[in-house]
Amino acid sequence: MRLLLKKLTVLDKNSPHHQEKVSILIENGIITKIGKSIRITKNVKTVEFKNAIASIGWLDIGTQIGEPGYEHRETLETVAAAAARGGFTEIACFPNTKPTIHTKSEVQYIKNNTKESIVNFHPVGAVSKDCLGEEMSDMIDLHHAGAIAFSDGRRSIQDNGMLMRALDYVRSFNGLIINHPHDKSIARNGMVHEGMMSTSLGIPGIADMSESIQVERDLSLRNYTDSKIFVHNISSKDSVQKIRSAKAVEKKNVYSSVPYLNLIFNDSAIEQFDANYKVLPPLRDESDRTSLIEGLKDGTIDCITTNHKPVEIESKHLEFSRSSYGAIGLETCFAAITTHLKKALTVRQIVQSLAYKSREAIGLAIPTINVDAPANITIFDPDQEWTYDKKSIRSKSSNSPFINQTFTGKVLAVVNNKKFQQF
Amino acid sequence: MATELSTNHLLGIKYITKDDIELIFKRAEEFKEVINRPIKKVPSLRDVTIANLFFENSTRTKLSFELAEKRLSADVINFSSSSSSVKKGESLLDTVNNILSMKIDMVVMRHPEPGAHFFLSKHIDASIINAGDGTHEHPTQALLDAYSIQERLGKIKGLKVVIVGDIRHSRVALSNIMCLKKLEAKVAVCGPPTLIPKHIKSLGVDVFYNIKEALEWADVANVLRIQLERQDIKFIPSIREYQQYFGINKDLIQSLDSEVLILHPGPINRGVELSSDVADSDASIILDQVENGVAIRMSVLYLLAAKLKIKA
Repeated sequence: MRLLLKKLTVLDKNSPHHQEKVSILIENGIITKIGKSIRITKNVKTVEFKNAIASIGWLDIGTQIGEPGYEHRETLETVAAAAARGGFTEIACFPNTKPTIHTKSEVQYIKNNTKESIVNFHPVGAVSKDCLGEEMSDMIDLHHAGAIAFSDGRRSIQDNGMLMRALDYVRSFNGLIINHPHDKSIARNGMVHEGMMSTSLGIPGIADMSESIQVERDLSLRNYTDSKIFVHNISSKDSVQKIRSAKAVEKKNVYSSVPYLNLIFNDSAIEQFDANYKVLPPLRDESDRTSLIEGLKDGTIDCITTNHKPVEIESKHLEFSRSSYGAIGLETCFAAITTHLKKALTVRQIVQSLAYKSREAIGLAIPTINVDAPANITIFDPDQEWTYDKKSIRSKSSNSPFINQTFTGKVLAVVNNKKFQQF
Repeated sequence: MATELSTNHLLGIKYITKDDIELIFKRAEEFKEVINRPIKKVPSLRDVTIANLFFENSTRTKLSFELAEKRLSADVINFSSSSSSVKKGESLLDTVNNILSMKIDMVVMRHPEPGAHFFLSKHIDASIINAGDGTHEHPTQALLDAYSIQERLGKIKGLKVVIVGDIRHSRVALSNIMCLKKLEAKVAVCGPPTLIPKHIKSLGVDVFYNIKEALEWADVANVLRIQLERQDIKFIPSIREYQQYFGINKDLIQSLDSEVLILHPGPINRGVELSSDVADSDASIILDQVENGVAIRMSVLYLLAAKLKIKA
């Protein structure tokens, strides 16, 4: 395949063409020419853009993929389509499948079945068998099979001792443990942020402390084991402060992320009992939201995640308390941020988080937009308006709070693995 | 004064205005006169069909609604979860849509989940009245409580009302707070800290952890039932200790400097939150609450039915 992409402004701080308006020629998946004007007419697919920016492809950490086990929610094919539409050329997918990704067979299943995909799948192996938080899984084996990191995914690890041993164990291969902080004995049957909104709606609340108490624990266990920890998807200002203090001392080995919805909304979003806003971690109050943005800007939080969790309509379209947690997010993450956080975050900051810091945190090589490099590119226009309608959703599920919303900011195309997709 | 409600449903006190509450009280007063006549029935809701859907146990609320509906000459059907297909896994929306295919105009629903009525109001056409949704609201109870206080003391504005007991698990407490605050009363809650939500002060109420201090402060005490069935873990060590330190008995009442009006939404755990000699005393208006409950519910049904006709 020869592909000529015209009129793109490169946004890649590692490229000699950074901030230049150029054309890019890609042959057989490799960038072969970058220049002001490239004249080729034969055997080439040419796409001319307007006001478009090209950055290296984006990475989402903690994507729920559905398959195997929950194919009624999402398959490898649909999650790849959704990721690509959202600008993500790589996903580090969580192990909460059925079976969980706790042996090399599951890692291989995902790798083998996504070989032809435009999206690179990086399975995150389970820390514990079946993600039950009881017995460690064979993590060295998983590592050799290609697991990029280890986590029990959406199941936060409750047993302090097991997490300590896991952190210690993975040091032999410089492995990374990802934990979502959520103390179940404090959160109990809570469903939303504990605050004025939960009190006035009579919905059991999840105290912010149920998160920060585990953040503190995770950081202490990391210190003790001298290992690496990724605190996944924080939502409260206390967590931000704790991670900020930890990073002041330990510059490496502590990473964290925030779901994009928690950057955009506070808990007033649930006032009408709309279950599309019923997510974990919960949307917290305004001071939490603003401190998450601050944390992202000052580097306390490394990256933004989509917190993509597909749920079939039968489990979502219910009374609030019976509705399952989660929202799909791959297709709307970038657009919702550029629409709702225009004043808070620059395009450069968004790309820095989605493309660079996410890779640094999880230890993936950072691609570049330069001659001789493999083309792993996301093309977007931060000012283009478009409407996210239900019919166009690529994910197999449609549990999104943004249906029929008009966004400003659109992903126009992705290039990866010798493939090109335009939206 | 307004002549119609600002809303097509009664989902909670939170979603109605002070004018709505005053209008409901005014009509309730008229209906109270009606239900004390020798012929207690009026034809106001003829041709209106009401479904009482109770997905959670209820005795007095269900009876009170049914009586109110019959006094207004509505056609009534009853449905309760014990005899329903809900337990077979049918969704709320399917159950209600099935019932609505039978051309129902109004739905009175009790449901264990907070916000269930909200969910329903977005998906069906009928007018919906919340008869209790989990730990969220029980608006008609709050209306009848406030109405009963006003009836006895002549006003609500400026009165000090303390709600005593399990505030954490109580929809009655939440609706009462909303209603009394809208009517400009001063509101406090009292109970063991584990039964009081951490952020309750954000609703503009004071908090007491000592029952005597609370009653010294208050003009009115609305005493709630200890809802052990809503507590999946122990929030208090024992009923015995609760009764000793938060129960209201004659000695406590007599030790106060001034009289406190006692309300209870029922059913009472006699000898736990309230001793029998207080429950049955002149200071208690528990039975007035029950009578007023019918009048208030007639008023709500009547006013919402008027909106149905406007809509049609």
